[in-house]
Amino acid sequence: MSGSLSATGLSVRYETPHGAVHALRHVDIEAHPGEVIGIVGESGCGKSTLVTALANLLPANARVEGSIRYKGVDLAKLDAHRQRLLRGDEIALVSQDPMTAFNPVLTIGDQLLDFQHHRKDLGRGEKRARIAAMLGRVGIADAERRMHSYPHELSGGMRQRVAIAAALLTDPGLLIADEPTTALDVTMEAQIIHLLRELRRDYNGIIIVVSHHLGVIAELCDRVYVMYAGEVVEGGEVDAIFHDARHPYTQALLACDPARFHERLDRLPTIPGSLPSLTQPPLGCVYAPRCDRVFAPCASIAPPLVNLAAAHVARCHAVTP
Amino acid sequence: MSPLLAVEDLSVSFVRGGLLNRLINPFPLPGFNVIDGVTLSLMPGETLGLVGESGSGKTTLARTILGLVKAAAGRIVFEGSDIATPADFRAMRRRSAMMFQDPVASLSPRLRIGTLLTEPQVIQRVPMPDRRAAAKALLALVGLPASFVDRFPHELSGGQARRVGVARALAMKPRLLLADEPTAGLDVSVQGDVLNLIGELKRELGFAAMIVTHNLAMIRHVSDRLAIMYLGRLVETGPTQAVFSAPLHPYTATLIQSEPIPDPRRRSHNPAVTGEIPSVFRRPQGCEFHTRCPVAQGRCRTEAPAYRPMGAGRMVRCHFPLETGGQEGELTRFHKSKGKLT
Ligand SMILES: Nc1ncnc2c1ncn2[C@@H]1O[C@H](COP(=O)(O)OP(=O)(O)O)[C@@H](O)[C@H]1O
Ligand SMILES: Nc1ncnc2c1ncn2[C@@H]1O[C@H](COP(=O)(O)OP(=O)(O)O)[C@@H](O)[C@H]1O
Ligand code: SF4
Ligand code: SF4
Ligand SMILES: [Mg+2]
Ligand SMILES: [Mg+2]
Repeated sequence: MSGSLSATGLSVRYETPHGAVHALRHVDIEAHPGEVIGIVGESGCGKSTLVTALANLLPANARVEGSIRYKGVDLAKLDAHRQRLLRGDEIALVSQDPMTAFNPVLTIGDQLLDFQHHRKDLGRGEKRARIAAMLGRVGIADAERRMHSYPHELSGGMRQRVAIAAALLTDPGLLIADEPTTALDVTMEAQIIHLLRELRRDYNGIIIVVSHHLGVIAELCDRVYVMYAGEVVEGGEVDAIFHDARHPYTQALLACDPARFHERLDRLPTIPGSLPSLTQPPLGCVYAPRCDRVFAPCASIAPPLVNLAAAHVARCHAVTP
Repeated sequence: MSPLLAVEDLSVSFVRGGLLNRLINPFPLPGFNVIDGVTLSLMPGETLGLVGESGSGKTTLARTILGLVKAAAGRIVFEGSDIATPADFRAMRRRSAMMFQDPVASLSPRLRIGTLLTEPQVIQRVPMPDRRAAAKALLALVGLPASFVDRFPHELSGGQARRVGVARALAMKPRLLLADEPTAGLDVSVQGDVLNLIGELKRELGFAAMIVTHNLAMIRHVSDRLAIMYLGRLVETGPTQAVFSAPLHPYTATLIQSEPIPDPRRRSHNPAVTGEIPSVFRRPQGCEFHTRCPVAQGRCRTEAPAYRPMGAGRMVRCHFPLETGGQEGELTRFHKSKGKLT
């Protein structure tokens, strides 16, 4: 499809003085215009690395293998200048702490003007009108007054709204929100979820939502990829992931969420063991050291991605279609 | 049974603008109450969850109870005695412990775990023939290997650091544990581990706990009673199960309804509350929640509701409490309809 995104065999390692950190390994994902894609997994599993690679914003010590195709173009094959252009206008990344996206000494209005540098066709007045309209759309009531504010004068929830407005002003075909509600209180989280849901109604691009919070993913996404220790271990329609999870890690992760239990639990479920080292990832299945269904081949043979049903895949020796 | 801890009408006031302002301004701005008239009690062995949005004053309340922040008014009674003088607070702190919000930041980075674990006893001059052995015993208590005595805080994972935080808090065999956001920033698979550990040790050692958190899904499983705070005041207290299944205060209900539901078949459609928590500098007139309350009425804007008992150990600060069993949360409805999910 014309506006689609796909990553194939995507691997990222970070070169560090203590050796290479294999943060992402042979990841395949795809996303189509109009879809909201969820990336879920616990901290350190590579969610930010994945979306930063998609947005082409990885730090200098990152080494990338595999391909990322967006709108039919292989991003790795573009020269630096065209990559920059594409990133600015086509792919927008909203991060967990939107404060880092803003310059503390410039007003919100001035910064939002800058986000429209690609619109050479618009004058300053038209751009300001567009900003006011966009701020209104993300739920900021007194938009005109807010344009004169500095970032530190806004609350966390308000900054997240402004960051989403800034991203949308670039007319992106791909909007990525990395943990957009993690720093917020639950009442503000509900409001941002509602905002993202409203936005998708008249937005034709792709939205990717990254979260470690299963509730946020369930509320927002159409399709979900579950990550563990640098790999996508399961992917599927949101309903299949939450009601027919097949990978032992997805099942364990769902079982740990205290929000799923109404009756008081005497003991909260946990996943025994700890994450494998990403400097020397396990030879076989990455989840083998903690898996309750581990059997002979798991320790030495990396499981393939098994097709279970339409759009439902899991990387596990124990699953069958 | 008499309460282990009773807090009566406690208020804490901060001066706006800080020290510099006070020095240069001949007419300093009036202080503002960050904690205002808080009354609560904790029975021996009980677990109380203190819940509220950030900035509502939870950390300040916990620190004030331990005498780390000075109260402007009110009374603190611990094990039947009034705690008033610095010496009283010191004595109380020997029998109670605080687990801070960020365990790694609250541990000195240059000290080894063994030293950190036994620091409280050294400060309190508890005789300790073998400090290393004492540290190893504490590590064993929280399920960490003895070899950790020689590690530095930054060498621990998030979950391990919390375990060290628990061990350090329990080193003095406290009667009371105040845990400030004990699982903030932890993954769900590790969060349960830390809370199970606190629960086990509570059963074994019999202390009471106050757990400060904004995580409703978690606190539902680990607390006996809940206290809900808004702008430094308690708006509702009651047994945890009762509060969750039929919240009386509209704020409690909106908090419960705001919690995202981990089931795509049960999406909530509208945010339960709009707008943001007002600043304590500018407390709204009348009921402080009226600016966001979905069921506010004319009276709420002018007349502050009293904090009054509602029977069955419940208290609420609202003119029009939600009817029992009436406005229950989407989350509760979800659980009622599906029961336990696995
Ligand atoms: N710039 C970097 N250099 C070295 N290691 C990194 C860098 N950024 C991330 N990592 C490591 O890569 C792994 C994945 O990190 P990240 O993508 O941030 O995970 P998540 O977003 O899921 O928490 C982690 O082990 C992290 O420590
Ligand atoms: N030392 C201080 N001086 C002035 N204001 C403070 C101080 N500490 C906290 N506050 C203010 O008191 C209020 C309550 O803060 P806090 O107790 O940290 O809330 P919570 O733990 O619920 O997030 C906030 O508005 C905060 O900005
Ligand atoms: S491949 Fe084996 S170890 Fe890995 S998740 Fe499947 S059963 Fe468990
Ligand atoms: S007193 Fe009125 S405004 Fe306040 S919580 Fe009750 S109904 Fe809402
Ligand atoms: Mg991340
Ligand atoms: Mg706090």
